[in-house]
Amino acid sequence: MRGYRALIRATARAALAYRFNLLLGLGGVLMQLVALLAVWRVILADSPVNGFTWPQMRAYLLVAFAAGTVVSIMGDFRMAFRILDGDVALDLVKPIDYQRARFAEALGGLWIEVVLIAVVVGIAMALTGGVDVPAAPGLALFAVSMLVLVPLKFLIVYVSTLACFWTQNFMGVQWARLAVVNLFSGALIPLAYLPGWLAGAAQWSPFAGLTSTPALIFLGRVDGRHALVLVAVQAGWVLALWFGARLVWQRALRRLTVNGG
Amino acid sequence: MRTPRLYLRLLGAHFRSMLEYEADFVILALATVLMQVVNIVFLAALFAKVPDVHGWTFWSVLIMFGAVALAEGFCSLFFDGMWSLAWQINRGDLDYFLVRPYPVALQSSSANVGINGLSNIVMGGIMIGTGLAHADIPWTPWRALLGVILLISSVVIKLSINLATNAVSFWLSSPTPMFAFAMHQVGDLARFPLSVYPVALKAVLGAVLPFAFISFFPTAYLLDTGQSRWLGLITPLVAAYCAGAAALVFKRGLRRYESAGN
Repeated sequence: MRGYRALIRATARAALAYRFNLLLGLGGVLMQLVALLAVWRVILADSPVNGFTWPQMRAYLLVAFAAGTVVSIMGDFRMAFRILDGDVALDLVKPIDYQRARFAEALGGLWIEVVLIAVVVGIAMALTGGVDVPAAPGLALFAVSMLVLVPLKFLIVYVSTLACFWTQNFMGVQWARLAVVNLFSGALIPLAYLPGWLAGAAQWSPFAGLTSTPALIFLGRVDGRHALVLVAVQAGWVLALWFGARLVWQRALRRLTVNGG
Repeated sequence: MRTPRLYLRLLGAHFRSMLEYEADFVILALATVLMQVVNIVFLAALFAKVPDVHGWTFWSVLIMFGAVALAEGFCSLFFDGMWSLAWQINRGDLDYFLVRPYPVALQSSSANVGINGLSNIVMGGIMIGTGLAHADIPWTPWRALLGVILLISSVVIKLSINLATNAVSFWLSSPTPMFAFAMHQVGDLARFPLSVYPVALKAVLGAVLPFAFISFFPTAYLLDTGQSRWLGLITPLVAAYCAGAAALVFKRGLRRYESAGN
């Protein structure tokens, strides 16, 4: 464990050095927040649509922003470039588990993401008004859901980044992932607005846990057993992806060719 | 005629080298299509529950999304090298460009072909086309001609903003185009009707960095919707102004260039 703790500390210190990645990760999510806040404010000014009032939608979008910012800065770029450059060979000779080491790095970058979330959410609430915080059990479940979101998001990014063993084009893979996650997680629009069959598929996919689940719990739109089931699905996907990623990794290693020098 | 012909040959060389990696080529093109499909699904889902936003319907917002996609696509396909200007400055690559008898900005912008641009042009074209087909526009030859002029102007504006913001790298000396990218992301705001934003953002998108002239104002004029529809008519003037300003910024910046040293 000591090795991983050291990695977390090292990444936490290095986090500020990756300003461009920070911007890449944050900018898109931030602009989406601004645009959607502006659009929904106009739409919901007079009456709620589909059961969402303006304060609720505001809270939903802020949770979506927080969920979109978590684990977006440190992991994928560095890992992708190391695979494409062949530097991944150096990671392989280290006596630590590759997947856990990358997870440790993602954890190391968390503090800066939390700071950014606090700043942006603070400004957004000052400009557009506060949000209703749910009652204690709901809040506790929301906290659990946000915690489960960290490994879930890491794993989805990790598995998609492993695609770099098959293709040189990391950007294409990343864009495709962002598009799919944006829609199926409910970050772009709450799943309740999608057609029934699409919403149903998204609900049970691993992506719903990336925005929809914590946001709906925060709004109190799901409660009691239903909320517990959603968090259980979230956690179930973490387990499935954690071991699934190991299978992908084993296959990926067979593809690895590193040019000497 | 020599300049555009050489430009196409420069691009062609990069295009051929890109074709070597066929799978990567396809992945990037498909990922871009996927991004636009997600945008369309989002708009369809939103407008299924809401008839309009400040008078703007699904089809009119689709046209705005399409206009941004088309302008971006054109810039990626033909001028993607601009995004490596920061890197070229940082590495001192501009030394080579300066000794060749060809405009430096064009040598820089032809340094890459973004095949994602092709997808964006196709998807943007489809979005604009379907949107216009569903809009109730009394087409006359004059109006059609104006539509084409507006479209060209919107591409020129996007291109000029890209060039100017990337040329800021001459002052920032960072190896990555941070500033340009941040501004590019701000441009995504202009895909929605400008009237939904607070005054400060309207000023930014309408005047400081006129992203709104890429999508919103031309669409407003063509569809005759919104309060400031006549502003769409000055899009060509804005385009000329942006192109001039971008050329000036680049020229000023180039004078500051001092290679990388050894």
